[in-house]
Amino acid sequence: MRDVAAMKVPVRTILHVDMDAFYAAVEQLDNPVWRGKPVIVGAPPDRRGVVATCSYEARRYGVHSAMPSRAAGKLCPSGIFVPPRMERYEEVSAIIMGIFLEFTPLVEPLSLDEAFLDVSGAPAQWGGGISIAKELKRRICERTGGLTASVGVARNKFLAKVASDLNKPDGLTVVPDDVNGVIAFLAPLPVKRLWGVGKVSEERLSQAGIRTIGQLQVLPHAVLEEYFGVAGAKHIQELCSGVDDRPVETAIEEKSFSGEHTFDQDCADMEKVRQVLLEQVERVGERLRAAGRTGSTVHIKVRFGDFRTITRQTAIKPPTDSDKTLRDAAFTLLSRENICQPVRLIGFGVSGLAHSGNGEPVGEQLLLGDLLPSGLDMRQAALDRAVDRLRQTFGRHALKRGQWRSPSE
Amino acid sequence: MKIVIGKDAVLSGLQMVHGVVNVRPTLPVLSNVLLQAEADKLWMTTTDLEVSVRCLVDAKVGKAGGTTLPARRLLGIVRELPVENIDIDVDDKNNAVISCGSAYFKILGLPQDDFPAIAGYQGGSTFTLEQRVLKDMLQKTFYAASTDETRFILNGTLLSFKGNKLTVVATDGRRLALAEQELEFPKESEVDAIIPTKAVNEILRMLKDEGTVKVHVTKNQAGFEVENMVLTTKLIEGTYPNFRQVIPAQCEHRIAVERESLLTALRRVALLTSEKSSSVRLTFGKSKLKISASSPDVGEAHESVAIKYNGKEMTVAFNPEYIMEPLKNLANDEIYVEMTDELSPGVIKSDVPFIYVLMPMRIS
Repeated sequence: MRDVAAMKVPVRTILHVDMDAFYAAVEQLDNPVWRGKPVIVGAPPDRRGVVATCSYEARRYGVHSAMPSRAAGKLCPSGIFVPPRMERYEEVSAIIMGIFLEFTPLVEPLSLDEAFLDVSGAPAQWGGGISIAKELKRRICERTGGLTASVGVARNKFLAKVASDLNKPDGLTVVPDDVNGVIAFLAPLPVKRLWGVGKVSEERLSQAGIRTIGQLQVLPHAVLEEYFGVAGAKHIQELCSGVDDRPVETAIEEKSFSGEHTFDQDCADMEKVRQVLLEQVERVGERLRAAGRTGSTVHIKVRFGDFRTITRQTAIKPPTDSDKTLRDAAFTLLSRENICQPVRLIGFGVSGLAHSGNGEPVGEQLLLGDLLPSGLDMRQAALDRAVDRLRQTFGRHALKRGQWRSPSE
Repeated sequence: MKIVIGKDAVLSGLQMVHGVVNVRPTLPVLSNVLLQAEADKLWMTTTDLEVSVRCLVDAKVGKAGGTTLPARRLLGIVRELPVENIDIDVDDKNNAVISCGSAYFKILGLPQDDFPAIAGYQGGSTFTLEQRVLKDMLQKTFYAASTDETRFILNGTLLSFKGNKLTVVATDGRRLALAEQELEFPKESEVDAIIPTKAVNEILRMLKDEGTVKVHVTKNQAGFEVENMVLTTKLIEGTYPNFRQVIPAQCEHRIAVERESLLTALRRVALLTSEKSSSVRLTFGKSKLKISASSPDVGEAHESVAIKYNGKEMTVAFNPEYIMEPLKNLANDEIYVEMTDELSPGVIKSDVPFIYVLMPMRIS
């Protein structure tokens, strides 16, 4: 029998590392003349689209990410608009993720420029979380040629993430390790820092005069339940006192696969909308198969010229990774909608993911000949995989459907 | 409407008809049982618009009339009443007072005019056969039907009246069960009918071991009539796949095995299958069949059963549920397993005209 006391969870040291204005910083790195100037990565100001990231110089004009580029252009007429170069960002990201792995194998990347690190098990001679954070920032700067990161050091993911955001850019924020210290650290922060407090809850709390986490900390549990429900209140109460047990997960399993396309100009041609939808279906199908997963729910998303957005979903039984099944479901959903308005965006996604079990020791149930409809599925699956292999070898456009067809073909 | 009815009569009637009632029907009145009293008889009718069941029971009718009452609620009440005569008195607002001894219930019904009309059948073919025979054929096959709604054509059991035979078939694409029986009828009556699984369940509930059943088949409906009951169902529309083509003409090896001992051994060994490894391996050796299962994360089990076999040794993997289901639904002491190799279909036969074709599982 193991000693119960010895099984107590040890105190952890978690780092949240967030690169400062990453895409814009990479652009300034590669184009020295842009340094010190407002660089805006995203769509050009005369076109439809949004800002992906902007440099701190641009932020002074009030530009921020996710803002429409047209609005950014008005706020900051001198801004240097640059289209994103994802391959280059991925390349730099790989260098940074490599540095993380020099400190710990427990790295949970959240995106190209952001990750959680669990350094609890780091050797004592490295001197604990703060020393590691300093050394990590130094190595990033050295090996990327000058990029900076902001780091939060805390006992869990929630606190580390809050901390990294407090002193940007080039920050290093340490959350106290004792309970009272944690409570005092959180108290002055606005309620929206808590996961689970979105715009709506923030607004409702604000109407009651509650703006800081400190005010939430002293609310009785019953009052929290009124705002957040029974389950939500427990979650919020834990976060308010800085409790968060979630581990750093090195391999995150996707919960869904999706893709969407925004038309350059609103599209009234439904044949074209269906074509683009089919392209999204094929891309998602390819990713599903590459990940060895199947999906049991299919959804489509349609945004109209006036920004009205609808999503429609349907269940698929049994779960599938077949392009044909996914396409039939997507087209059925689309045709039910009777769309007579120009479409701005069309999206497709699959969720309810399970492992398709390929290559696992699971036996494969054979089917009774080609006569029965299930026999067709096997041929369809073989076709999908053959197409995937061709596209991997010769590129995405090597093979295209001659004609997009309706599910009633 | 005012009747006096024995508890046993009303209870047995409700038990026959309540299975059709959906828990959450599309129309409120579909939760109800239609009661129609006339001349010492009470008709009870339920429907889900696909399947309808009518049952006739004896009653003392004080005042003829009709109403509809919540079927499950009524069944619950009747089940708990003492074994005595039950008075049911319904006013013209469809409030029903049910009394029995000193027990009193008042339940609220809906007008009988709200209840959908049950379509009668016109034209088509009519067949008469022993209830026992049809029940046995359905029992041996219906479990193999598909529950996958995207294969709606397989979501039922095929009754094929052809060539002076009734052939009953169900399949889900992995296994297929078939029972056959000689039956005389004129050539022009030949017809195929795919009966939805829900209706098959109700038919099995309705059929007894004695008496005959009349089967009517029209273009889109089938009716099953026994002494005091009628079931009508919509048919699954479409053409059933050509099932004859998946039945192997002949297999290399024929193995006789005792049904019960094979079934119990499979039950035990199947306990050690898991989601990751859902197959059992059957190794046919000289006079001995070894059944084994192993899951990397659970453990392993094996057991042997005596067989009559002299051929070469071979191992085939199957989903255990798929072998156990026919074994559970057969009554024979001895059955025959026919095998060719580990990737070809296995066949289970009994001495009556029954064939079960099962595809193996490919294991690496």
